[in-house]
Amino acid sequence: MNTKPLKGVGERLPLVDGIEKVTGHAKYTADLFPPDALVGKIYRSPLPHAELIEVDVSAARQLPGVVAVITGEDCDVPYGILPIAQNEFPLARGKVRYFGEPVAAVAAIDEETADRALKLIRLHVRELPVIETIAQARAPGAALLHDNKPGNVEREVHNEFGDTTAGFTAADLIREQTYHTAEVNHAQMEPHAAFAAWDPLREQLTLHTCSMVPYYVHKRVAQCLGIDTAQVRVIKPFVGGAFGARVETLNFEIVISLLARAAKGTVRMQLTREECMLTHRGRPESDTRVKLGMARDGRITACECEVVQRGGAYAGYGIITILYAGALINGLYDLPAVKYDGYRIYSNTPPCGAMRGHGTVNTRIAFESLMTSMAIELGLDPIEVRRRNLLPCPTETLNGLRVESYGLPECLDKVEEASGWRQRRGKMPKWKGIGMACSHFVSGSAKPVHFTGEPHATIVLKLDFDGGISILSGAADVGQGSTTIVAQVVVEVLGVDWRRVRVITNDSAVTPKDNGSYSSRVTFMVGNACLDAANKLKQILVEAAARRLQVAPDQVECMGESYQVAGDPSRAIGFGDAAAEALVDTGTLHVKGTFTCPVEFQGGKHRGGAVGSTMGFSYAAQAVEVTVDPVTGRVSIDKVWAALDCGYAINPLSVEGQVQGAVFMGMGQGLSEQTRYENGKHAAANFLEYGFPTIAETPPIEVFIVESIDPNGPFGAKEASEGPLAGFPAALADAVREATGLELTDFPLTPERIAEALEARERAGRAAQRKAAKQSATEGAV
Amino acid sequence: MQDLAILKPESVAQAIALHGAGEGARYLAGGTDLVPNLRRNIQKAKTLIDVSGLAELHGIGVESQSLRIGAGVTLEDLCASEAVRRQAPLLAQAASQVAGPTHRAAGTVGGNLMQDTRCYFYNQSDFWRTANEYCMKCEGDTCRVAPKSDRCYACYSGDLAPALLVLGAEVDISGPTGNRREPLAALFADDGMRHLKLAPGDLLVSVDVPSQAGWSAGYEKVRMRGAIDFPLAGIAVALKRDGGRIAALRIACTGVNSYPGLVPGLDALCGKAPDDAFFAALDKAVRKEIQPMESTLTAAGYRRRVAGGLARRLVERLFEAAGA
Repeated sequence: MNTKPLKGVGERLPLVDGIEKVTGHAKYTADLFPPDALVGKIYRSPLPHAELIEVDVSAARQLPGVVAVITGEDCDVPYGILPIAQNEFPLARGKVRYFGEPVAAVAAIDEETADRALKLIRLHVRELPVIETIAQARAPGAALLHDNKPGNVEREVHNEFGDTTAGFTAADLIREQTYHTAEVNHAQMEPHAAFAAWDPLREQLTLHTCSMVPYYVHKRVAQCLGIDTAQVRVIKPFVGGAFGARVETLNFEIVISLLARAAKGTVRMQLTREECMLTHRGRPESDTRVKLGMARDGRITACECEVVQRGGAYAGYGIITILYAGALINGLYDLPAVKYDGYRIYSNTPPCGAMRGHGTVNTRIAFESLMTSMAIELGLDPIEVRRRNLLPCPTETLNGLRVESYGLPECLDKVEEASGWRQRRGKMPKWKGIGMACSHFVSGSAKPVHFTGEPHATIVLKLDFDGGISILSGAADVGQGSTTIVAQVVVEVLGVDWRRVRVITNDSAVTPKDNGSYSSRVTFMVGNACLDAANKLKQILVEAAARRLQVAPDQVECMGESYQVAGDPSRAIGFGDAAAEALVDTGTLHVKGTFTCPVEFQGGKHRGGAVGSTMGFSYAAQAVEVTVDPVTGRVSIDKVWAALDCGYAINPLSVEGQVQGAVFMGMGQGLSEQTRYENGKHAAANFLEYGFPTIAETPPIEVFIVESIDPNGPFGAKEASEGPLAGFPAALADAVREATGLELTDFPLTPERIAEALEARERAGRAAQRKAAKQSATEGAV
Repeated sequence: MQDLAILKPESVAQAIALHGAGEGARYLAGGTDLVPNLRRNIQKAKTLIDVSGLAELHGIGVESQSLRIGAGVTLEDLCASEAVRRQAPLLAQAASQVAGPTHRAAGTVGGNLMQDTRCYFYNQSDFWRTANEYCMKCEGDTCRVAPKSDRCYACYSGDLAPALLVLGAEVDISGPTGNRREPLAALFADDGMRHLKLAPGDLLVSVDVPSQAGWSAGYEKVRMRGAIDFPLAGIAVALKRDGGRIAALRIACTGVNSYPGLVPGLDALCGKAPDDAFFAALDKAVRKEIQPMESTLTAAGYRRRVAGGLARRLVERLFEAAGA
């Protein structure tokens, strides 16, 4: 092979699996459905809250063409992502707790028969009061969703770090505000799909599914089917977006596995968009009350924060979400004292889960909004106020989070300069405004969800007779580019030609286990495992080359496609020869690399202290420019400047894409996205009503990459995808404030809300005028 | 999805004959409105008569200053038509705001005009409607928007109709009993379930737009997003300016009633200067005409308010431009 001087890392490389996607050749789960598979469909609860007296599937079972019908009777093993909070059954047992909860499922010979079978299922129930809102859930005497959870509280968190009383005493200005943020859904492009094949002779299950966490799916499916994990194989094909929608085992993945076993065959299932939005697991509606103390110079002296999240009907990730919401108050600024009270509430709505920026986004919206309000009140520039609150680095926060690289100052500089902030802020034309905010996120949770004692990431490099390097990776590429990153790391270390490398991912029978694509852990952890594996393979090849070249290993220089005696190109062998030598006596090489976050990074000692702990935070600042239409209340985003400290950009092109995607998602939450429920039934479970922005709303997004070179990240890299999201809504509200003078605390900032606020202000203005006129008339009379 | 037969007639006459031949026949053109409704089982059909290929429904003809637009012309072609941009730019402006580019490539003038009315309680899945015990418009007996009413308040949401109404358009309709031409306004009724005054088998063939000499016209719609969405309120305005006064004024609305309607009572405003008193009267006239109900997730009050605001802004803008 020719040696191309193409670097592995730091290059603006198109994603290695991008060509398949943009040409339509990539096979997603539903593209792989075997043509003879049975059709699986789920019968969903038509009631938000009811006691199940009987699920009558007798007529459905008798329908010709129906092969299997299952109900809650067929699985009494609860599941849930957190071992300490598994309170969900794949098919409801005893009670239904949200509209759309799976109750029964059928496998039939075709769609039409499956649909007809669903129509034959009858429920006998006793309806229960519907708990739709946080207020209803917390009302005295409210009906309980779960008998063991008084007050419908899944988890309360209370902690205080530092002395907030003293902090507030030292403050020159204390302000308190409650921010309301609507529930949002991931709205990933590919609807959920899976197919499961049960081999009745071997008693083995093969499940293809669109998961971000095939390992967790593997464990839960085995658990719920009551079979050994060895009997299960999970394969993840291409996935069309995830954002947290598939970061825990979902009911349909277990249901289809149960169905396949019941039908003794292969069953496929594709959920509709409505079903996807009922499966949900999105960001919870939150009421976030923040109280900040600020010195006259803008220094924050204390922070008090109360978060109430409406978590939906089941635990899911809830405990982690409510812990994240408090933990990551820290880690962005230097806060001397923080008090946090969090409440995760149950409600008769679809279960919430993890979504890009898990748990941290709504708190950040509230914190940044109040910080800017107070800066304005003190006559200070919002960017300057952030500069006054920067962390020292390295440092450890009050709650035990380690910060070892910190590019926030440079992010602020970039955004300030590029947006023309100093010249433009406060001087925008009427109905136009510019605002800013900051945000951050973890590069992988330093403590995995399941403690197994295994390394946190494992990669295997296979080198065989052909001289090809197969990177065996369990890391789930769900569009974020992790497959590209692992390839770049290996190519960088070994210096080999790209054509020598293939990445094989996500087949539990072939690839090493990976915890999954959550908490932005893959680049950092799997990237480090790749680095380890590639270095080990390189050492093996160097030693092999040394044998061939008859020199000591330390005299051999790796030139990528060749190995030579240091400084002497005339004494060299090709990669193929080095590989052949390396295989002598051992045969096929499997070189394993691993990575584990050291225990000192795994968070504070307090209860829940592991949540939020990471080896490196990404940092982001962004400025948003808007125009507000005074008649319709619609906000147009004219321009966004976003700077991200991702440590080091292994692939700057991919980083830019991730930042733009995060900004876009933050924009959706800020502007228009919200799930809606009426009497416990969803009101907007489709893409027309849910309201994520279209390309027409998408502004130019100028991205600035800041490289702080993290001491622990692979090549200094940190995460690049979740951090830049949370700043948007607060920056948007700041810009809208400049454009309109309105202080808005209810997100999203829909045209309806803005128009209402504008009208309320006009009304108040007219009333004040009338009052003043009346007063002056009275005074005149006197 | 229901089982369907799709027939491809070769002429309007044959299409009408096929329509009469079997039960459950519906005309299909672009399908952007009908097909999602069939999939959701809220509109029913056994036979679809595909009229998209009929030559008689195609083409944009120019006769002196008037336009004849085939009902089968796609919205994309309408937007791109030189003749339309020259003689009735308002139509291109309104058509360009319909849904998204792929919808406009398939959707037709006739289909857009005669699209089904919409309601939050109606445009839902079978699962949702079953669980919510249906509504009057489909399989139920109560209007969920106004439970005490004996009529349906589903909302008309076409973007072309208000534009065509202020242009004074007429429609050519062929049916089993012959051909007829009538003002576009006569096609619509204030009834969410029967908003089209069409006899079974009637087929809209073309739309005729008279000369627009001396008129200035514009269309604006309010929606959550800048693409895809149906109007929460849409306003079309056509006016003639005479010095500092408005000599003639037509306003039509969409998204705020079960039909697209011309705002009545504007004659009283003609001959007046557009001052505060004028706009107060205009706002009153618009608000009197419209009756948005809670058929969308956006509150009716908002839709009412912005309809008035849009009308004012459009009149101001057009008046200004006409003087320049």
